[in-house]
Parts: sequence; C-alpha cells; structure tokens
Amino acid sequence: MSLNQVWEAASASPYSPLIAKDSQFFVGFSLLLAAFILTGLFGLNRSFTSIALFGVPASLAFGFGAVYMICAVGVYV
Amino acid sequence: MRPLSALTALCGLFLSTSSFVCADSTSSSSPVALPSDFKPAQVFKNINLVRNTNLEKSYLRETINVVVENVAKQAQSDYYLALPSDLYDKVGVLEVRDKSAPEKGRLNVQATEIDPSRDLQYYIVHFSEPLAPSSQIILGISYSVLNSFSPRPAAIKQMDRQYLTYSFSAYAPSAYTTVTQKTKLKLPSTNVPEYTTTDLKSGADPERLGTSYTYGPYDTAQVAPGTSYPIVVRYEFTKPVITASLLERDLEVSHWGGNLATEERYWLRNNGSELLDHFSRVEWTLSSYQQLPSSSIRELKYPLKPGSVDPYFIDDIGNVSTSRYRPGTVPSRDASLELRPRFPIFGGWNYSFRVGWNNDLSTFLRRAVGSSDSYVLKVPFIEGPKASEGVQYEKVVVRVILPEGARNVRWEMLDKASSNGLPSSSQIQAEVSEHRTFMDTLGRTALSLTVVGLTDEARDSQIVVTYDYSLWDGLRKPVTITAGLFTVFVAAWAVGNLDVSIKKR
Repeated sequence: MSLNQVWEAASASPYSPLIAKDSQFFVGFSLLLAAFILTGLFGLNRSFTSIALFGVPASLAFGFGAVYMICAVGVYV
Repeated sequence: MRPLSALTALCGLFLSTSSFVCADSTSSSSPVALPSDFKPAQVFKNINLVRNTNLEKSYLRETINVVVENVAKQAQSDYYLALPSDLYDKVGVLEVRDKSAPEKGRLNVQATEIDPSRDLQYYIVHFSEPLAPSSQIILGISYSVLNSFSPRPAAIKQMDRQYLTYSFSAYAPSAYTTVTQKTKLKLPSTNVPEYTTTDLKSGADPERLGTSYTYGPYDTAQVAPGTSYPIVVRYEFTKPVITASLLERDLEVSHWGGNLATEERYWLRNNGSELLDHFSRVEWTLSSYQQLPSSSIRELKYPLKPGSVDPYFIDDIGNVSTSRYRPGTVPSRDASLELRPRFPIFGGWNYSFRVGWNNDLSTFLRRAVGSSDSYVLKVPFIEGPKASEGVQYEKVVVRVILPEGARNVRWEMLDKASSNGLPSSSQIQAEVSEHRTFMDTLGRTALSLTVVGLTDEARDSQIVVTYDYSLWDGLRKPVTITAGLFTVFVAAWAVGNLDVSIKKR
C-alpha cells in the first residue's frame, strides 16, 4: 500500500487538536493563573498535605498552561 | 540531593523510552564507474528522435522523444543515454518514461561517474522488462539543465535589453546511431539577433515559425554517434535569471498547537548580465514608472495555500516592510504574498532573505486508519515564487520537522503520469536527524531531503510522510514541565522541614 493510499484512506479522520488555535491563549492564561494561585496557597502552608492539595494541581496546571501559552504567542511546539 | 538526582534519573529513563527513530528510505544510489575508454555496445538504433528544447525560462528544459530498436540478437534491458560533459554535471532532474506504457511511471535511471577524458557522459536507463530483438520502445526523456545560458554581452547598461546565448549540437548527443532526428527550439521572444544556419539538409535550416526554430529533420544514419555540429542561438531575454544557490525549507508540525509552520530561507542571485556602470536611481525610477522590462528582480510573487496566516519577510537587516499579503479564501482561492526586496537585484547581485507563514494542521495531517498512533502528513515539497521566467534552485534542503518522539518515519514523493520536474527517489538524499528547539527534551524528529538541481516546475509536487506518535510522546512536554515544578514544591517542603534553629537539643 503506497503512502498516498494511506492518505486517501484516512480522508475521514483529519487531525484536530484538543484545543483550537483561537482558544489557546484563554486556556493557557487560565491554567497559568490557576498555577500561580495554587502556588501561593502552597506557600502559605508548606506541609506534606499541601503538596498533594496544591502542589500537584499547580504543577499540572503550569505544565499544560506553559505549553498552551507558548503556542498562543506563536511558537508552536 | 540524592532523592532529587534519583528523580531526575527516573525522569530521564521515562523520557528516553520510545525515542528510537528509523527511516526506511535513506537511499541514494551511487554513480557507476565506467572505464575511461568506455563505448556502449551498438545494440540499439534510434529510429527517430525529436528533441524539444525550451529556452523560455531561465533554465534549459529539454524533452527528447526517441523510438529505440533493439538491433542485437539478444534481448536488451540497459540503454545508455549520452550527454555532453559540460551539460552532464549541470543536469537537474532527469526522468525517462516508456511512452507506450505511461502508467508504469518513470524508468530506473542510474548516473555514472564523470570522466573528464570522455566527450560524452552516460546515464544508464534500465527498462522495466528486457526489449526483445527487433522490437521497439518509445522513450520520453526529459531533463532540466541549470546555468546553461550565458549572457552576451556579459555587461549591459541599466536600461538595456538583455541577451542570452545557448550553444548546442545540431545532432542530438547519443550513444547509438540515429536514423532521423530534428530539434525544435522554443524561444522566449521573436527578437533573435543571431542564430547558426546550417547546410545539413536541403532548404532553409532552421525553419522559423514565430518563436519556434526547427533544426532538421536530418538523415543521420551514416553519421557516427557522438558527432557534433555546433549551433549557437542568441536571443533577447530581458528578464532576470533567478537562481537560488541554496533554498532551505522547514515544515514544522505541532500537534499541541494544531499548526504547520513553514519557513523558507533563500540565497538568491541574478545570473543575468552585470551592470556596465553604477546603479542609477533616476533611471531606475523612470523605468519603474514606465513599467519597462528589466533584467533585474523587481518583485517576487509568492502564491500560498488557502488559509495561510501570519506571513513574515525578513532579511539580514530585519523586517522588510515592502511586502504585501493578500489572504485567500478557504478552501478555493490561494493567498498571495508579494515581496519587494530592499533593492532591485541586477545581474551578479545577491540577496538572501527568509519568508514564513502558518497553516492549520488539519488540512495537512490525518490519522491513519487502523492505528490510533499513526499519522499521515501530506505537504507541498517546494512552493517558492511563481515567475514566468522560472526559478532555478542549485540546492534544496527540505526539512520536515515532526513532533518530539515521532518514529517509524516513512516518506514518498507523489509522482504524476507525465513529467513534473520532480526528482526520482534515488536523486534525493534522505536523512532522519534530531532538531532541538523550544521546550524540547529529546529533540524533534527531522526528515531532511536534499536535492541538487531543481527547478520551479516541481512547485505543485507533494510529499507524503507517515509516522507513529503515541499519546505518551505527546504528553512528554507538559509532563516534563509538571515534573520540574513538582520537584520545586517537594524541595520547598523538604527545606522547610529542616530544623536549623540554634536551641539546645
């Protein structure tokens, strides 16, 4: 099967990203803001429970937020 | 520090899994070495040969249709295609097709090593099946030759008309005896101040009809193969001879951003007549106002795919503001990017610049059927400016930058039933490497395709790339950043727990 046939066969499934280009800034900014607030909350009480309660969600929000924010400003990673 | 380094090592272990990259198409057939006194065995005869030479563009485009007969007693499968030594190393894309079976595509052609002691150099055309004795095959041979014209005079005034000369042999170069042959020249204008006339046939030679000049037909059954009869044509070509000594084209796929970013870097040169005097701004303004034809590159028109956005045009100094962008309408009308370089590029002058733009990835990328982790990408091989005078590329490096962790990269150039100026896969040097840029941990998988000698005829060609890319590969970036920040939190907590008081324990 030639690669062009693979392309033709896949005509029904064009790739669509999870977050459309127009929403990248909103999603990225919201996640980074959430990460900022959660980090602040962690800073108030640096206990082991705070890591689970604020640290983990803040890290996740920062990880995904940073990726969407860099895409939103035109550096498509 | 120990838990931190252990965590880092663990991260590294996770991240380096599934980073193996392979490509099955890293092929380039090496030229065959022939002995210096090599002469192909006279096992074929060219019954009829028609050569169409197109001089309308800034590069030479030749199409030779030849009826070949096997005159040997055994079946033959290798045909030696001869070209003069001075043309051989300038030949861009060469393709040979069996005209009676166009559905079989192009025939396999192998280059031979250049031997300066020989007048003729050879390509070996391998037939798809051996040609039986006394049977015939019609070959359609087409190729482009870069930098084959020389400007005469070599230096002109700014407002002067430009003339190019082209030298060739009235007898088409061949390794075998040719019974009849003719050459049709297609010139860009009727202003042809000089051309060689011959007495090789009765009547006028060449026969002229508008911008077409026909040399022949000649009865050359008694003429030894390899005999040449020099012809020189000098014609008006008041257009730039646009040559890109190097074009680097990057196509960057972003799954997270849903974007295909294209950037092209040009090292451009005008190979036309040089300026006799200094550049005159007054004369230039006058000729621009009157829209007189000029041998300089005034403007480059760049059609882009519908839906192209965020175009930029920069050179060594910075942004070039003399450009205009007209966005097209999706899906039918092309966008158009009109670039005016900082200065008109006259003969012998250089200009290097870069242009880039973005497209939505959904038009170019699909999920392959049957596997959720396989993707298929179809992108234009080269785009480049569209000019009536043509653009020749001495070297083109197309880099398809896939997301981090993409593997099992396979590629294919889409061929058409007729000649399309595309190189065969043996003329393309393919290499899979790593490309590191923003937010990368392992580096992205980059497929580089290098072609030497290409023309803008290949503008509409497409390349299909398939690759595997799992969900974990996609999550690598956010997970790395998440792990980084999480480490900071854990470190903050651990440091906070240290008892550094000076009280008595």
